[in-house]
Amino acid sequence: MDKLFRKKHDLWLSITFASFAIDDEEIKSRLYDFALIAFRHMKWIAGNVLERGENYNYDRDIMLYKRESVFDILEALESEIKEIQNFYPDDELGFRMKNDDNYLLEYISQVINNDKNNKKITAFNMQRKWLDKNLPQDQIDALTLFLFDESYKEYELILIYAYMQARTTNIKQYNIYQDLIDESQFHLKSFANMMAKLGILALPRELHEMTYIVKDLDKFIKDSIDEEIAAKEMCKELSEAIKDEELSRFFDFINFQENYHIELMRKLL
Amino acid sequence: MFENVKMPEGMSPEILEHLMNPKNYGKLDEPSCIGVAIDEKTGEYVIFYTLLNDDMIEDVKYATNGCQDTVVIGSMFTDMIIGNNLEYANTAIQKMLEKLGGLTPQQQICADIVFTAFIASMRNFENLKNGEKEEMHVLKMKDSCEATGMQEETDKENKNG
Repeated sequence: MDKLFRKKHDLWLSITFASFAIDDEEIKSRLYDFALIAFRHMKWIAGNVLERGENYNYDRDIMLYKRESVFDILEALESEIKEIQNFYPDDELGFRMKNDDNYLLEYISQVINNDKNNKKITAFNMQRKWLDKNLPQDQIDALTLFLFDESYKEYELILIYAYMQARTTNIKQYNIYQDLIDESQFHLKSFANMMAKLGILALPRELHEMTYIVKDLDKFIKDSIDEEIAAKEMCKELSEAIKDEELSRFFDFINFQENYHIELMRKLL
Repeated sequence: MFENVKMPEGMSPEILEHLMNPKNYGKLDEPSCIGVAIDEKTGEYVIFYTLLNDDMIEDVKYATNGCQDTVVIGSMFTDMIIGNNLEYANTAIQKMLEKLGGLTPQQQICADIVFTAFIASMRNFENLKNGEKEEMHVLKMKDSCEATGMQEETDKENKNG
């Protein structure tokens, strides 16, 4: 199995979850942009692996950077980026990835050079308190379960759709998979940032190959549509139950997005 | 208010820890046996890897595409049985259910699928011991997902090796 793909999968998650863990909106946003670039690297590496007639999987070695300060997280990320350089090939893709990484390293070093950026990380403190909201415990409990379930599901869907996208030769299907990946990236970002606010940010668990090697596409899509409908129902229940206008509106918004998400999936049938 | 929203009892710090860092999650490189419990209606599965030394459980891992209740129960169950013998493992699920207190019907289904996957791995072990070539043993869950309702099937399609 491809070692570079595995390393890039880990790095994509590390950048993504560093972005979720850090409160500062500017650093969060810049890191998230780099995370999306790393995801594209992953996609390109996957394409090259398949072109060589080889394969890759979604096994990983990553440990989430549960650090206490912004600099601790960024320094750990810096080491991981430096380490992956040894795995890049001497070809156009390798040069591109090195250049992107160097730019990210430069950005990290700029952030680290300003002590004001070294804020405390609260994303892992398990306090389950939303500081600017006063949610009762039963609502926090329901929200906690929802966020764990859905953040895993979004990560799962991103990887399954990417796996199928890499293997289709049908342009229409390819584009639908891309839309579905983009949708799930946005949902993962939204849910994980909420988890960080609550102090319960956690890495979605690893995918077993039984999950992403799809033998029967029609059945998979039909099951996924059922899951989306269930997720919509959960969103609706949360929206009705949570007595906070902003959160309630957000869950209504996600619920509505799922309608078209389901429509996109139907187009795959 | 949250009748239809699944929630572990009281969401204790212990449950939260299992949610954030599930124990024994993943695969074993060289297990003695592998079992799968699958709900064909929903596609939800649990795969269970067991490493035995005589009747002692040296190591286990599990993976699932199921909900967080399944993850938490799998994490607790595997934690309980590692380092114990098979006799203990067969009673562990009951001990765990007593510890967790009253489960919702949905959580009971999650507990059943975890335990059924473990049983499937034991069936795989027996079959391998009897000279069969079976990569993993698959047990299909019925809607009730109760142990008596399990439908056994040695899934030929899953014999990838």
